[in-house]
Amino acid sequence: MTKPVELPQGTLEMLILKAISLGPLHGYGILLRIQQISGERLEILQGSFYTAIYRLERRGWIKGEWGESENNRRARFYRLTAAGTRQLKTETAKWTDMAAVVAGILDKKADEI
Amino acid sequence: MSLLAAIHKLWRSIAPRTHSDVEEEFRSTLDAYQEDLIRRGLPEGAARRKARIDLGQPATQNETYRDAIGLRLYDELSGDIRYGIRALRRNPGFAAVAVLSLALGIGATTAMFSLIYAVLLHPFPYAGADRIMNPVIIDDHHPGEWSWFSLSKAQLDDLRLAPPVDSLLGFNPSHMEITGGALPEDIDGIYLTENAGTFFGVRPLLGRNIEPSDAANGGHAVVVLNYRFWQRHFGGDPNVNGRTLEIDHAPYTIIGVMPRSFAFNGSTGVGDVYLPGSLMQGLANVPDLSYIPWIKLRPHVTLAAADAALAPIVHQFAKQHPERFPDHWQLTLQSISMTYRQETGPTLALLLAGVVLLLIIGCANCSILMLARGRSRQHELDIRSAIGASRWRIVRQLLVEAVVISCTGAVLGVAASYWLAKLPLLLSPDSFPAESVIRINLPILVFSVALALFCGILFGLVPALRLSRHGSARVILGRQIGVVAAPAKHRWSVLIAAQVALTLLLMATAGTAIRCFLQLMQMPLGYDPSNVMKLGIMLHVHNPGEWSHIQSREARITYIEQIQEKIASIPGVSPVAVGSDDATPPYTGAERSFEIDGTGDREQPQARVMLVGQRYFAVLRIPLIEGRIWNTDENTRGDFIAVVNHAFATRYLSSSNALGRQLRIPGLTSRNRFAAISAQSTGWRQIIGVVGDVRNDGVDRPVVPAIYLPYTVVMSPWAQFFVRTQGDPLTYLHSIRAAIASVAPDQQISNGTFNGTFTLNDAIEHDAQYSRQRLFSILFGVFSVMALALALVGIFSIVAYSVAQRTTEFGVRLALGAPRAHVQWVAARIALVSAGAGIVVGLAFDSFLGAVLARWMQSAYAAGSLFAAAALLALSALLACLLPARHATTVSPAEALRYE
Repeated sequence: MTKPVELPQGTLEMLILKAISLGPLHGYGILLRIQQISGERLEILQGSFYTAIYRLERRGWIKGEWGESENNRRARFYRLTAAGTRQLKTETAKWTDMAAVVAGILDKKADEI
Repeated sequence: MSLLAAIHKLWRSIAPRTHSDVEEEFRSTLDAYQEDLIRRGLPEGAARRKARIDLGQPATQNETYRDAIGLRLYDELSGDIRYGIRALRRNPGFAAVAVLSLALGIGATTAMFSLIYAVLLHPFPYAGADRIMNPVIIDDHHPGEWSWFSLSKAQLDDLRLAPPVDSLLGFNPSHMEITGGALPEDIDGIYLTENAGTFFGVRPLLGRNIEPSDAANGGHAVVVLNYRFWQRHFGGDPNVNGRTLEIDHAPYTIIGVMPRSFAFNGSTGVGDVYLPGSLMQGLANVPDLSYIPWIKLRPHVTLAAADAALAPIVHQFAKQHPERFPDHWQLTLQSISMTYRQETGPTLALLLAGVVLLLIIGCANCSILMLARGRSRQHELDIRSAIGASRWRIVRQLLVEAVVISCTGAVLGVAASYWLAKLPLLLSPDSFPAESVIRINLPILVFSVALALFCGILFGLVPALRLSRHGSARVILGRQIGVVAAPAKHRWSVLIAAQVALTLLLMATAGTAIRCFLQLMQMPLGYDPSNVMKLGIMLHVHNPGEWSHIQSREARITYIEQIQEKIASIPGVSPVAVGSDDATPPYTGAERSFEIDGTGDREQPQARVMLVGQRYFAVLRIPLIEGRIWNTDENTRGDFIAVVNHAFATRYLSSSNALGRQLRIPGLTSRNRFAAISAQSTGWRQIIGVVGDVRNDGVDRPVVPAIYLPYTVVMSPWAQFFVRTQGDPLTYLHSIRAAIASVAPDQQISNGTFNGTFTLNDAIEHDAQYSRQRLFSILFGVFSVMALALALVGIFSIVAYSVAQRTTEFGVRLALGAPRAHVQWVAARIALVSAGAGIVVGLAFDSFLGAVLARWMQSAYAAGSLFAAAALLALSALLACLLPARHATTVSPAEALRYE
């Protein structure tokens, strides 16, 4: 089993947006999908998960509606709103930029500085 | 949408999801996760536990939700508020005292603020009221006095074109009569230039205001009603528009009713009806076809610039009508609120200072109560802090409780302020603009809410900081058991001292005010005002038939003398005819220049000229000092004689014998075209008598020189009678009406101000200084009684609380043989000492502050009242300490030890 990764502050919300961007999901579905995409390496539970969902909904980036889950249980499905789509795009761009800059710095060899 | 629905919608937008919605979603996720765990091989119990550890408890999920959407602070605060309300209901005695202390202060302060708002900040309902100016002229010889002036229509139109003028209103107040009814009724009408509607910018309550189109064809016969007149005469009939009102025997159509706040204008007299000014041209009975101007300046024009621009224009007018202007004068624009701001502003500032003191005392009281009660709550607070409440959290809890008290007090206070604010208007009606309407409006509500929050935090902060200071260590020891003497340091002793000092300040101020008022009441007036009534009659200038009988001067004198004789024939009644409009002491006479034979060309000496009948001095019981009063024949002739007052004799005739000297009054004529003037009114007159001084410049001011002349010298189309009666004058009103009717059946008695008649005592009560002093005495008396009650409640409750807290200690002291007096002393000691310190500090401060207040009040500061107040305060403080302290000695030792 690969080593679990701890999430930096504020990235959980970005991951939830990404998970939902692939198609509407209920809460547990989001959890599963993030774990599945990350190759089971992310430990995102510990109670903060729903706080993030509520916040995203409050900001109008995702919208929840009641529906029926795969095993015929009532569940609340979330989908991305237009504002959420835009937000995911900017967040992704910001993250990639930052990661590239940080990686670039860390990759420098002593003689290149 | 109803209000409830709107609130519901707002609430949904703040917290869109319900409790059960959040919980159901969470449970479905929890179940799915749990099933997953079971599928992965965990036993059911372990899966259930792990799911809850990872995701959280369903029961707390709603809290997480509300926290996430930012409602945490709101939830905590509302919890604090609920807790605060519960805590208050558990202690109704404490709550009632605290709430009432603040309700008094907040109510009084809100009342004063609404008064200041109505009188100083927003006195007039007119559009752009701050740009509306009275143009006045100031005579160079008398720079302290200013007067209004009137202009013709053409001059008004010239002035309107001046660059700084935005718009211009001309008005002409005029006495009128409502005819066609059983008895004619006197009213005040005001002719307005036809731009009145746009100039005022006040929306009529019904119908419309006067419009430019009303000027067409010499003016439409239309009339707009004042609100009070509408109420009085039409009983507030909403269908009054279109009806006909007969004024001076001519029909007018009612086109509108103005709202209550419109009372144009408080300076020359509020009009009952408003009419188009163009009508004046076609009427025979308008005394003077001119307008007094009100100027609305363009925005951002300074007063100095406007004065400079308008002065040359008005100087040009003065050349056309030199008789309307003095020889040398300056033009000045005065804001229409200036007189009120100057006269009423200091009064209100002083009253505001009084209520703020009262509020501070109330706040101190609440602080003391909270501190005192806090000792019994210490245990609860210690437990809160032991189970993890931060200090800030406890301070917040205590502050919220304080704010709950202050807001409850504010609700009561604002309700009371509605009536409190009317008190000064009732006590001193002439000091406030007629347009001021006291009502609770948004700025006042905002003010009182802000005040309540401020007070809550102010009085809650000290107790909150003090009570939250203890750590949790003591909780472990449990409640304090055994005999513990009260800690030596008491915050509240400082508060009590401050409270007592402030109370003393209020009491001393009240003492000063009351003493001055008493002095004012005992001031010698120079005449006897009791049982003297004033009546007015308007001569019927509009009715050609009647007018022809009284148009000539002689006929008019006969008519007035006839009425006077008829009134005199009523047993117990002695009347006198008076010509001047302003012959009512304590403020009488029109200031005029005169010349004295033989004194050379002194610069324009001035005296008050009074036109009265020869019986004036007898009716008012004014003593004759020298010479004689004129007789009936001289009264009819009017010329060649004069009587002066003592002040005149000493000031202008000091060296030689007053009698026989000559004087003349060059300006003694009238512009009123219905006036009748004697042949030699401006000629030389011999002084035939000197009478005693009568207050003629206000009750508190020195008497100024005065000249008395027969009323027949200048006869206006109205006359007044002063009637002395045996007993209450108003009971004679009916027989006097009958007497007048026997001379002229439709001659009405004036019902202008004061409901048609008023007594000379009423006139004193309307004197500015008199009513101001009465206002101060009553209000500061009330303030200081309130303050005293608050301070005593504070002292009483602090001693009572500490006695209750220290029951064990006192029981043990008594058991060990302490004398009762000693135990009482121990119980009351600190409160007594702080009250004593407060009185000493108060005495020191008050001798300084009291002098400042007294100067504001325009009265002499009386040190004696300070010591009287201090003695009273000391005595009551002693009682407030000793009553609860006595309780300490009633504790039986056995009971005291069981008490814990």
